[in-house]
Amino acid sequence: MADTPTTHEQRTGFNEAETTVAKRTGPAGRADAAATTQQITLTINGEKHTLEVEPNVVLLDALRERLDLTGSKKGCDHGQCGACTVLINGHSANSCLTLAVMHEGSEITTVEGLAKDGQLHPVQEEFLEHDAYQCGYCTSGQMMAAVSMLNDKRIGTDDASVKEAMSGNICRCGAYKNILSAVQSAREKV
Amino acid sequence: MTETIIGHRTTRVDGELKLTGKADYTSDHNLPNQAYGYPVPSTIACGKLLELDIDEARQAPGVIEIVHRGNFPQLQPSDNNPACGTAARLYRSPSTMAEQNKVGEVRLPFEDDGIHYEGQYIALVVADTFEHARAAARLVKARYEVHEAVPGLFSTDDEGEEAGDEAVSRGDPAGAYETAPVKLDQTYTIAMETHMAMEMHASIATWEDDRLTIYESTQGVVFQRNALAQIFGIPPEKVTVIAHYIGSGFGSKLFMWPHAVMTAVASRMVGRPVKTVLSRQQNFCNAGNRPASRQHVRMAADRDGKLLSIRHDSQNETSFIDSYTESIGSGTPRAYACDNVSVSQRRVQVNHGTPTSMRAPGEVSGSVALEIAMDELAIELGMDPLELRRKNFAERDPTADLPWSGNHLRECWDDASRRFGWEKRNPEIGSMRDGHEIIGWGMADATWEAMRSHCKARVELRADGKVQVACGTQDIGTGTYTIVAQTAAELTGVPLSRIEVKLGDSMLPAGPLSGGSMATATVLPAVAGATRDVIEQLKQIAIADGAPFAGKEADSLEFKNGELSDGSRSVSFVDILNAVPRGMVEGEASAAPGDEQDKFSFRSFGAHFVEIRWDPGISRLRVSRVVSTIDIGRAINPLTAKNQVEGAIVMGMGMGMFEETEYDPAGNIYNNNYADYVVPVHADIPDIEVELLDNPDYNFNEFGARGVGEIGITGMAAAISNAVYHATGKRIRDMPIKIADLID
Repeated sequence: MADTPTTHEQRTGFNEAETTVAKRTGPAGRADAAATTQQITLTINGEKHTLEVEPNVVLLDALRERLDLTGSKKGCDHGQCGACTVLINGHSANSCLTLAVMHEGSEITTVEGLAKDGQLHPVQEEFLEHDAYQCGYCTSGQMMAAVSMLNDKRIGTDDASVKEAMSGNICRCGAYKNILSAVQSAREKV
Repeated sequence: MTETIIGHRTTRVDGELKLTGKADYTSDHNLPNQAYGYPVPSTIACGKLLELDIDEARQAPGVIEIVHRGNFPQLQPSDNNPACGTAARLYRSPSTMAEQNKVGEVRLPFEDDGIHYEGQYIALVVADTFEHARAAARLVKARYEVHEAVPGLFSTDDEGEEAGDEAVSRGDPAGAYETAPVKLDQTYTIAMETHMAMEMHASIATWEDDRLTIYESTQGVVFQRNALAQIFGIPPEKVTVIAHYIGSGFGSKLFMWPHAVMTAVASRMVGRPVKTVLSRQQNFCNAGNRPASRQHVRMAADRDGKLLSIRHDSQNETSFIDSYTESIGSGTPRAYACDNVSVSQRRVQVNHGTPTSMRAPGEVSGSVALEIAMDELAIELGMDPLELRRKNFAERDPTADLPWSGNHLRECWDDASRRFGWEKRNPEIGSMRDGHEIIGWGMADATWEAMRSHCKARVELRADGKVQVACGTQDIGTGTYTIVAQTAAELTGVPLSRIEVKLGDSMLPAGPLSGGSMATATVLPAVAGATRDVIEQLKQIAIADGAPFAGKEADSLEFKNGELSDGSRSVSFVDILNAVPRGMVEGEASAAPGDEQDKFSFRSFGAHFVEIRWDPGISRLRVSRVVSTIDIGRAINPLTAKNQVEGAIVMGMGMGMFEETEYDPAGNIYNNNYADYVVPVHADIPDIEVELLDNPDYNFNEFGARGVGEIGITGMAAAISNAVYHATGKRIRDMPIKIADLID
């Protein structure tokens, strides 16, 4: 460790990737924008929730920190891992990449809305039977992506197409083989 | 007692909770009046923090407090630091395994003004919402004196410091090498890896008077409880650590990191619960890594392939603030029959956060060099690589000079090679083709030490018909909840649906870390002991005056299917408890390893056979098939055990082909996210066919289980590299293998 005393000014404690997100959040970090909250009504799993949020509140954080719907997980906050996948109007989406205020009127489905009347969804049943998880942290995202994919007629039904379509959902435990077999088994039941 | 549950495929007892979003991971908790912590990391890797300007951040909306060196309790309270009265003083954890208070980074947050690695915390903003904390953290300004960083092992000439206790030597390896007819002398490297557990590190701390409760994503609630008690100087009974569900850890969550201390202090300062969830970027800097390593292997054999000498000398990175040793050569002296062996380990200081255990720490790195070297030696000898291994099979543990408790490596070789079709391998390089693709076949051995620790457990039989089992260990995704329930079900005859398992709370009877593949062998004997104890307690209750078996001898009663029987009459434990009446009866037990370690050497063994395909036209490399046979003693739950081995194989593919934490020359990580740090995804996954042999190791424990978490990753990267050589003739000794290495 040679001493080369140059000095460095840190404007922000963030690396580039985080700065990008922070910039997108707009003026919320400024003191003069403190009061810009907005009332929104989100329809989640068929239920309406009214809440007061600043415009930079990400949908995932609104679900988890405001509505206590913590089944959707945060694994990267950058749309890279898929743990936060929910259905928005029937299509899978990274809830960490979209703002809560953009979803007034959207139909949002989270993992909490998959089972109906105490009966597991076929995808949930097959995940249980095939042990398509280990730690369970990516699981809600995997299942939501699978539900969306199984309803998407553009995606082939062969293993390679499923693997390609599901590649936005990382499972660090590596339970991929079982996830694939669970998804393919559920195909016949949905 | 009916043997129907242990050893049988059992879907997870916690499965429905995980599948419906109800399993409570750390950051899923939202406590009343909770505030949010957001750390401010250093943007330089080496130097000094000269000045911290928090004025603008302090004025930002929602900010409650900014925790930093100026107001954080210190090791040495002094009048110069008015924020730090003696009452608020902190201590370092002794950080030992023996006292069960080991931490990942011994230095306390903000302990001095030195910056030792990029991302080191310089402040923690506490605000009313996550968004406000994040926004205010951006407004904290810092001025540093920047020193030249050591960005990594491969950018320094420093030879490092010898880790003396790692050195092993037998025979005369140098002399045997000199006179041997066939020799190999090569250097292998492995890039730094990051655990990348899906769930980011998180703490939620809250104080009630002088009692601290902390929700933490940890693989060791007892270790963290003890460490926090040391740091705050309070009795361990006043600290509760909760980790009901963990989004895995792979070692990164074994030992506490500074964010937990910072969050606990912040909560005490602001007088309300504080939730801190590290960003993915911060997870790269402050929560451990598998350090980069360099290994020098010198190996010699006679012309028939008998190993004459192995020297395995390794270096690993450590930080400037802790001394971390990666025991890279620890498996080498036991791997093969060879009379002349030496192993050494050195640590080289670099400006990274302190490394920690990552899945199969040490041995998996060692297996990369040793198992590629064996392949190279086989080529040199003109011998089949499997044949070379067979020739050097160690009939007993050559280091401990003890018999193996169970070594079924030959069965693993036979089974996996047969299922793979190894006998059809044409050894000629690049000779096997399928259309555009060149096929390569390679193999390597897998091995991991079997360890066992001490453990307590409690079992309650309740008047409502439930059986509750409690142990202060964790389920990190390995299936501990399920195998504990299976054990209680097996011994009581009560169905799984009536068994409740409580884990992940330091208030429960002390259990082990979830790591090192030792949880199963450690926890189940304690659970069995507590179950037998509660049955004894129930018998005592049942023979008391007025009870259903009044006047009988306890020994004459048998417990089966949840009922006590004297041979002519059976009464359920529910009816006994209600007749007495009592709400419940409890039993406890401790279990610890005995003297079996003096009689046997306990290890697991296995073999991986890998097919890769290289398409030179489009420069595509992929693993297309993995066939593995692993002997782990007995699998308590083959469903979850096999899943773990398959997952470890996937992580081994990551090590061999993708994973590398990359630093720029200033010591800053430039791929600190889930897109640029590449891990295997669905599309990368080949056909994986794992078989687990069923050879219960009853010398190790009554269930015959040796544990399963680590072994699958060992040998995988080497098997891939060996297959790549078979396809391309290019010997890749630096992990991960890169496409650029293969392009002509």
